[in-house]
Amino acid sequence: MNNLAKFTIGIFATLGVAWLAFVVGARSQYGDLEPTAQSLEEDGSIPADSELFPIALSGIAQQGSEEYAALGCVACHTQQVRRVETGFDVDRGWGKRPSVARDYVLQEHVLLGNSRIGPDLANLGLRNYSDEWLHQHLFEPQSIIPSSLCPPSPFLYDEIEEAADSDIVVNSDAGERFIRPSIRANRLVAYLQALKQDYELPEMSFIETEDVEADLDDTAEQTVVASNDAAPQWLQDQINAGKEVYMKAAVGGGMCFTCHQQNGEGLAGQFPPLAGSDWVLGDKSRLIKISMYGLMGEIEVNGVKYNNVMAPPGIPPGSLTDEQIANVLTYIRNDWGNSASAVSPDEVATVRASLKGRPPMQMFTNSELSPTEQ
Amino acid sequence: MSVDSPDKIIDRSAKLVFSFFLSSAGLWLLTAALFAYLAAAKLTDPFFLSTCEFLTYGKIKVAQANAFVYGWGGNAIFAVSIWILARLAQAEVRGSIFLVFAGIIWNLAITFGLLGILDGHMSGHEMLEMPTEVWPAMLISYLIITFLILVIHRSRQIKETIAPQWFILAAILWFPALFLIAWNGMELNPARGTLQTVLSMWYGQSLIWLWLTPVALGAAYYLIPAILGRTIDKYYLAIFGFWCIAALAPWSVVHHLEGGPVPMWIPAIGTVMSIAMVFPIAVASTNFHATAFLDIGKVWNSLPLRFVIFGTLSYTVSSYIGVIFSLPAVAKITQFTIINEFHFNQRVYGFFSMIIFGAVYYALPKISGREIPIAAKSFHFWTSTFGVLLLLLAYLIGGLTHGVLAGQPLLPWSSSVINSLQPYFLITKFAFVILAFSQLVFVVNVWRVIFPNPFACLLCKNEEVEA
Repeated sequence: MNNLAKFTIGIFATLGVAWLAFVVGARSQYGDLEPTAQSLEEDGSIPADSELFPIALSGIAQQGSEEYAALGCVACHTQQVRRVETGFDVDRGWGKRPSVARDYVLQEHVLLGNSRIGPDLANLGLRNYSDEWLHQHLFEPQSIIPSSLCPPSPFLYDEIEEAADSDIVVNSDAGERFIRPSIRANRLVAYLQALKQDYELPEMSFIETEDVEADLDDTAEQTVVASNDAAPQWLQDQINAGKEVYMKAAVGGGMCFTCHQQNGEGLAGQFPPLAGSDWVLGDKSRLIKISMYGLMGEIEVNGVKYNNVMAPPGIPPGSLTDEQIANVLTYIRNDWGNSASAVSPDEVATVRASLKGRPPMQMFTNSELSPTEQ
Repeated sequence: MSVDSPDKIIDRSAKLVFSFFLSSAGLWLLTAALFAYLAAAKLTDPFFLSTCEFLTYGKIKVAQANAFVYGWGGNAIFAVSIWILARLAQAEVRGSIFLVFAGIIWNLAITFGLLGILDGHMSGHEMLEMPTEVWPAMLISYLIITFLILVIHRSRQIKETIAPQWFILAAILWFPALFLIAWNGMELNPARGTLQTVLSMWYGQSLIWLWLTPVALGAAYYLIPAILGRTIDKYYLAIFGFWCIAALAPWSVVHHLEGGPVPMWIPAIGTVMSIAMVFPIAVASTNFHATAFLDIGKVWNSLPLRFVIFGTLSYTVSSYIGVIFSLPAVAKITQFTIINEFHFNQRVYGFFSMIIFGAVYYALPKISGREIPIAAKSFHFWTSTFGVLLLLLAYLIGGLTHGVLAGQPLLPWSSSVINSLQPYFLITKFAFVILAFSQLVFVVNVWRVIFPNPFACLLCKNEEVEA
């Protein structure tokens, strides 16, 4: 300890061993990973003519990753889906499978991040957001998700007074605003859309998400059967499929029961009932709209006032397909003593077409819906 | 003033360097406090300053960490290390002019580095965010300072070295090694894919464990016996504690990668070594607290020592909490939450900075011959203590809330999970305001001692020369 040279050698040796492991060792272990096919031949070779993954980012997306790094998005967003035993990421619908080292080998900036004030973005490109939605979100996140803490980035956009058709409309608190993305905003959106791990790799296949289905209690089961004794087979099928959506709390489900409860009674003062509800038994198009976009603000159901937020149903939010919406609405109109006409996927598609241009995730309010009241 | 004690001569030789590094450290401390407030304010109101591109949340957060670690931490390390090593070596500080010159380069490099971050040139790798253009300047200026610190140590009168010297010298020497490794792996010979993340995680966390931590521990090993006038209790354990930190800390820091896209052995080793860290933590806290509690009245009455003991208690508590949070079952909940902020602030504020404050309050009067008003010191202590505890509690409870809610896939992300953190964000904003006031009082008083009459500064220097 008294000889400076020996002391220095000692402290560098302890540091050096860790360096050998984490820097030199890790590099020799997987520093030369290359893209590969989704599955390999039995002898471990890549099948001929197979597409290799991961694919490199396009030029503009590559530039977008630089914008992403420069703006400091990594301070709040991770880009990694953790292994199932160490995290909830797959259950949350943030990826089809855990991320692996090979997913990142072609990226120049690896921005895994270690803080999640915002959601994980490793698979943002798989969540079916339009470019327009992402631009609106970058310009003013709160115009789409009112509770968001994400800071707006108006400096990436030009605000236009006289809007052309190609301009993007943002419904901010200050009214409608028209914006035109700068080249930097376009790069960023190209990058965000390119974030996807939608392929399997030899070392990692997609995870079958377990249905976190609520245990159906027997009485509820019996009422369905009893009240629909005479129902035709197609209707019964639709009701059963709808019930699955209602009860499923995993990717592709609606998880409706968490608020409206298994017995459709809701929770007094918080979540309105569906059983015997004038909304459920009433106008179909209103129900369809709510099933696509959610609902916020004060409403009155069976004469009782509620004031709460219903996020766009589905996991991830707003992801229910036309058929799922038709099924689940048919189900809630025909259980717990309800009996009303079925909803067909075509009806849903018609309503969806009529709402073309409405930003995804933008919840409806009562006033928007009331003109169509029956 | 005819015959000065050797300590007085040493203090006088350290005066210029100590004053320079301390006053720069103070400015960086205030810069970091400002950034910390801005970042906290942005979390409570996303529209706050949102039109200004230079001040996005991500940039400010990073600028704050860099200003704190390299600006405040670096300068404070130089000031405190040089003085303690000179005192222990009973050797005068030589080459002051080169130390100040290197210090100016260091500070300029960090200034440009932070401007680079705000201007959008950051890399996104933990603690390596400053643009690579400033790295050479940082390394060269650091090496000059290291060389001159080693010169002080080499000219020591007593050949035997003691614990404060091991810890401080090791920290001084580890930094350039870590920096070179990171530079090589990121720039000169860049690694592909997640190897970058492994390296930057290892570097960023090691910086705290192998640079800030040992200096603070070394300062505590020096100050506690010096102020209490008694030897460290169970001192024979200190050498074991030192080598445990040297051997285990560089391994333990990677446990934060748990579950990520890296080979599983990396976080696994990190976890095992984190658990093994209970030994050095136990040694340091035994040494410090067994000594301090023999004479707790004196600790309470001496303000510098109160700061130091707050820091060592904080070190003990935070390190044990860190061990618990590295267990995979707990990490599953706390990973990626604002618990990260708890760890960072606990370590750099609750532990490192508090001990540095203590060291400054002990050294500054001896070096400058002027006392800081006791009321100001006391105000600084109580506001710092209150602010830090408030901040850490908010991050701790908020982090657990964050983790537990995030773990329920049914809860929508921003409207439920993140919205329930709002109260904690508000508390942290409030805590950062308190801390900013506290630091302002500290810095103003330090500056007033160093520059009692700023307009007659030149005259002061002349008088010194004559004396």
